[in-house]
Amino acid sequence: MLALLAACSQVQPWERGYLAKQEMAWDSDPLERALNDHIFFSKEASSGGNTAAGGGCGCN
Amino acid sequence: MKKPASRSLIALSTSALALPGIAEADAPPLTSSLSYKISNYQEDDLSREQVPFGELERYDIDVHQFQFISPLGRDYALFIDANHENMSGASPWFSTAGSNGQPVINMSGASGIYDSRSEVSLGVRYYGARGNIGGAIGYSEENDYRAKYVSMSGSRNFNNDLTTLTVSLSHSDDSIFPSDAERFNRVRHENKQASSVAVSLSQVLNPVASFQTALSLTGQSGYLSDPYKLQDSRPDGKTQIAFSNSLRYFFIKADGALQSDYRYYRDDFGIRSHTLDLSWFQNVTRSFKIVPMLRYYSQSAADFYTNIDDFLKPLSESQSSDYRLSAFGAVSGGLSFVTDFGGWSATLTAERYVANEKYSAFTVAQPSPGLVQFTRLSLGVNYAF
Repeated sequence: MLALLAACSQVQPWERGYLAKQEMAWDSDPLERALNDHIFFSKEASSGGNTAAGGGCGCN
Repeated sequence: MKKPASRSLIALSTSALALPGIAEADAPPLTSSLSYKISNYQEDDLSREQVPFGELERYDIDVHQFQFISPLGRDYALFIDANHENMSGASPWFSTAGSNGQPVINMSGASGIYDSRSEVSLGVRYYGARGNIGGAIGYSEENDYRAKYVSMSGSRNFNNDLTTLTVSLSHSDDSIFPSDAERFNRVRHENKQASSVAVSLSQVLNPVASFQTALSLTGQSGYLSDPYKLQDSRPDGKTQIAFSNSLRYFFIKADGALQSDYRYYRDDFGIRSHTLDLSWFQNVTRSFKIVPMLRYYSQSAADFYTNIDDFLKPLSESQSSDYRLSAFGAVSGGLSFVTDFGGWSATLTAERYVANEKYSAFTVAQPSPGLVQFTRLSLGVNYAF
């Protein structure tokens, strides 16, 4: 798998300016993500995603 | 005399350190930051057609979130999060057949529910040459619920820092002690546990695109029923699997970025779901962004879901009329305005969420009359120093 990924185009450090922008981060607003995770955890049956879950709540 | 570092070299180094995956994997934050967000979450009232008697008002919640992040020496960072919520309103108690045979809802408590929740978590992370490792502990308390949790995660970079592998683990130990337990013959004290493991792989595809795929597995055990519902009995174990894929793409000519996230989920209650999140970050000026967001969600029903409670069924058999276990779809849209000035940034967000069985991508055998519609407004500020 890693060998396959290594075959992807080699992006040099000086070519990474756009990737460095805040809006390109996996989690560009941690408080917004935490709030959304909490709301959807409370109102929908699904949970889980890119990271391991935190604590539960008695949200009814 | 020492020659000052070139400005372009400083800019290049800063850009490289700020890369998604790299900033998280290789270096602690360069500055401390303090963030605060206040939100109001308001569910729409139900109609008299859905609720023939009693309360129509649903939840109204105010949320305060705090976060403090600081570098600790050269290689460590400290994370402190704290949240506080105040909630009032009512929630569905049980479901019966109305005069036309269709399900109607009976709401909890004539005087409604008042509760608050406080949560704090503390985390430390070490940043090495090729990755990072860290952990956090957290505690959450409500009038009738307590959660203690711990999490750990580690990331390792490969392939000239273009590929990042992350593994995370968490465990939560929760206690449930419902209000008015004697009066309403509810359980007095129960426990439940949840353990999760998640693995994700991130890859830089080209100078404007990166991709992430992740798999998470969660096991829950203990008391998984809702103690506030009149007839709610769920299995005492659940296994959940979520498979997520994310894309980040920067459009140079438009000076904007697309965030796209998709998740497929299934568990052994019989629920499967699709979630698609799209956000567009439009740079209007160097310090001002507009961010429209669109989300689609749909789930199938749990195997034991019923939209009319059967009070003759023994509690040893699983049954629930909880609308969150029904088949439905939900569409939400939002808009954020983000501005930066000096070390400060501010974000104003409005979101509207509408759930309806008509939006479902799955078969809806028993539509729930209790689906939620809500409006959320948030204002967040961040100060870096």
